Amino acid sequence: MMSAKAPDYRARARAAIQDGTLQKALGGVQQRLGPATAALYAQLPEGPGLRQTAHDLRMQAVMNLDLLLEALADKVRAAGGHVYFAADAQAATDYCLQVARDHKVRRVVKGKSMVTEEIALNRALEAAGIEAVETDLGEYIIQLAGERPSHIIAPAIHKTRQQVGRLFAEKLGIPYTEDPPRLTQAARKALRAKFLAADMGISGCNLAIAETGHITTVSNEGNIRMATTLPRVHVAIMGMERIVARLQDHQILLRLLSHGAAAQKVGGYVSFIAAAATPDQADGPEAFHLVVLDNGRSRILADEDLREILCCLRCGACLNVCPVYGKIGGHAYGTVYTGPVGAVLSPLLAGLKEGRDLCLGETLCGACQQACPVNINLPRLLLALRQKMTEGDRSWGVPAAGGRERAAMRAWSWVVASRGRYETLCRLLAALQRCLPRKAGWIRWAPLDFRGWTFSRDLKPLARERFVERWRRTKKTTGGRS
Amino acid sequence: MKADHESAFLGRVRKALGRPGGVRPAWTGLRGRDADAATLAELARIRGRSREERLGLLARLESEAVPLKLTVRRVTDARQAAQAVVDLVAAGEPEWGGAKRVVGWRHPLITALDLGARLAQLAVPYSESDPALEGQSSEDRRERRAALRREVADAFVGVTAADYAVAATGTLALKTRPGQARSVSLLPTTHVAVIYLEQIVADLRELYLLLEHDPGGKTEGLTNCLTFISGLSKTGDIEFIMIHGVHGPREMHLVVITDEAAP
Amino acid sequence: MKVTLFVQCLVDTLAPEVAEAVVLVLERLGLTVTCPGGQTCCGQPAWNAGFRHEARKAAERFIALFEDAELIVCPSGSCTHMVRNHYLELFRDDAPWLARAREVSRRVFEFSEFVVDVLGVEDVGARFKARVTYHDSCHLNRYLGIKEQPRRLIRHIRGIDFVEMRDSERCCGFGGQFALKYPEISTAILKDKVANVLASEAQHVVGCDMGCLLNIQGMLRRMGSRVSALHIAQLLAQEEA
Repeated sequence: MMSAKAPDYRARARAAIQDGTLQKALGGVQQRLGPATAALYAQLPEGPGLRQTAHDLRMQAVMNLDLLLEALADKVRAAGGHVYFAADAQAATDYCLQVARDHKVRRVVKGKSMVTEEIALNRALEAAGIEAVETDLGEYIIQLAGERPSHIIAPAIHKTRQQVGRLFAEKLGIPYTEDPPRLTQAARKALRAKFLAADMGISGCNLAIAETGHITTVSNEGNIRMATTLPRVHVAIMGMERIVARLQDHQILLRLLSHGAAAQKVGGYVSFIAAAATPDQADGPEAFHLVVLDNGRSRILADEDLREILCCLRCGACLNVCPVYGKIGGHAYGTVYTGPVGAVLSPLLAGLKEGRDLCLGETLCGACQQACPVNINLPRLLLALRQKMTEGDRSWGVPAAGGRERAAMRAWSWVVASRGRYETLCRLLAALQRCLPRKAGWIRWAPLDFRGWTFSRDLKPLARERFVERWRRTKKTTGGRS
Repeated sequence: MKADHESAFLGRVRKALGRPGGVRPAWTGLRGRDADAATLAELARIRGRSREERLGLLARLESEAVPLKLTVRRVTDARQAAQAVVDLVAAGEPEWGGAKRVVGWRHPLITALDLGARLAQLAVPYSESDPALEGQSSEDRRERRAALRREVADAFVGVTAADYAVAATGTLALKTRPGQARSVSLLPTTHVAVIYLEQIVADLRELYLLLEHDPGGKTEGLTNCLTFISGLSKTGDIEFIMIHGVHGPREMHLVVITDEAAP
Repeated sequence: MKVTLFVQCLVDTLAPEVAEAVVLVLERLGLTVTCPGGQTCCGQPAWNAGFRHEARKAAERFIALFEDAELIVCPSGSCTHMVRNHYLELFRDDAPWLARAREVSRRVFEFSEFVVDVLGVEDVGARFKARVTYHDSCHLNRYLGIKEQPRRLIRHIRGIDFVEMRDSERCCGFGGQFALKYPEISTAILKDKVANVLASEAQHVVGCDMGCLLNIQGMLRRMGSRVSALHIAQLLAQEEA
């Protein structure tokens, strides 16, 4: 599933940086949404502390997950729905296929759901000969293009209108147009037919409410409402941690996640679904199945340092402010979950066997936490991940890092343990740097790891005399050179 | 007796949380609570709003509706409300071609508008999304549902009531009940909702309080499908250009009856 | 009043003139400055790379060197954040060391924070005729919450023309070892920052963290630009003779 090995990650990042169209699209997303979300947070009637309140509600849910999931399952079943607890992706897809077989499903319509990407549900359905159509416009576009989403909320934002025009002309057989309203109308028409003909609708679950036994979905297009109203069967896939205890908790979280996702006061359509249609209701599915997914989450839950990431609402706000994501886009990560949250979650879901580049390739600037509707301390989580990958971790089965990096750090540690050694090394480097090419006093090129610096920046040379030495020479110091 | 998949799953969760087998924490956070004094005072304040305050909320709703492309019309009574609906039907054109058709909820307010008779004067067929499904066989139910779906899909205007409207966010909250089909506010190109002035609350916080504590609501709960609708269906997925009317309605009207109260 | 200078390794080895400026300003304000001769590094590079063990060793040495100081002043937001906040995580499982770390943590201040919040001074008597803009370093701004203090100090400089640049709070792409390990991404981020600096038409970009300043200055020089990156202490040290 993951392919974030060192050369691939850097190569993908490089390609993204050189892609002018992508750069413009990423700049557009961040300029539009980053400041607008911040403005909404600044206007919260309850004050800025509401994000931390929301954090605490989510953590409380995470820390009582067994109780909440049981309560949810009891209520859904009491209302006539089915609940299946899937240990992993295979169990989840097997169950969905079984439901499809039981209900003689040939055509599926899907709402946007990251968790269905995570378990590769579309592939499983297609392998079983079932047509699975993505209905969110962005997802529909990339499905036609055979690509992966590049952003959690705006999956096709990397595509120009010309690219979409060519795609629709080829795949939908319509005359070429690059006019977004006409393109959208073409998708509207094509997908309306799909909604009306579909046997089964699949959605994710933004947040379930244990107290009332509902799942909730949020969209702006209306596709999730269509997919969960019209077909005979509704299957909802839910990451096990996507739950809150009480209805009143949801009020706070709905507002904050709407701010974070698309700088809205509230998402255009919010559906609270508890069950299939009752016999006396005019429409709605005949059967409702809720699939609760673990797939590595319980392992994260067991880790006290890292379980905070389970508070994530998948709103994408962190992507909208991250300077790294803003340059490399979603595809460079090579994983389902991208951006700052992906940098933490993807390695964890892969059991920490992969993803070093994801968590090292961040500047720890902290903009992500500021943008997060539930104030997740992503920088702390990234540092915690780095520690586990470096020092090793028994519970995750990660060995301590060795090789060049460990040796370099040991050497550094030895040098900074003594002022004398530190000064000696500085004097040595200051002497060696005389060989390096300079311009106007600054170094133009330096070897080894410093090539990364000098390929685009001049490097200030080491001072001839350290400040502390000058101080020692000219004034009294406290303590010696120990 | 829990199924294997469930016991194993929840067992892993409990183990991850460091709880010895089967031990539940002493946390009562889930128990439904009766409204405390502060909440009761809040509910009384909401219900006891003056007419002036309510008109103020309506004004707020009208301004929030503008960017959402929700058109808000004030009418004094049900008769005017009915006329507003008829005017919309007369002015509109079916998006997918074919003859004009209108579908509406079986709801006291909508039924009182007598749209069937009024629209007949325009030669526009009108049907209620009333399944009359009780006591029928599942075969008959399926047939009736399929027929209803065709009616709703062919209708270019769908008329509903709502449970609440929220001034601060331009939101309508619609529960699902027999005769009050979800697709009426979704499939037709134009959605018209008719409400009374008293149904407007200030913000989402008030909405959730009423959803939880409103006496009428307490017995039925949220229902099996509660929908919040805040303006038109829209997307920015292509180059961030905002386009309205993606999968849901392309036009949305809210008709507010100001001089009559809900019966 | 006596203060102890925590120089920061980047300042010590690459920009000693910044420390000179810090001392000059503090002495002008009537303080006595001391400087422990054994200081090397607070351990941040090891901590950021995930080498907790090595970070701890450096931190223990730091604490031993500085724990007798009443007030510690540091011309770096990121190092101040390391000592003030991360040291408490570093020693969380070791009660005696945690107590010592807490003491030091309480007494360490970033330079501009120290002048404005501790000394209560916004006008240090500086004079500098130039158009300048300001870059908010990430650690200083987001983790320490310091964004007004440097601005107040800059605005009180006689002759200064202060303009805000676009996205002053956006990361410059330094990120410590990130700049060396992921140079292309770092450079791409830096390009935007430099473009914003140039668009402000300032003659100097001012900041409180050497890492950011070396990063920004490095690209400006590579471009042949005459715009320079100055530490706020260097600005505040300016005065007409």
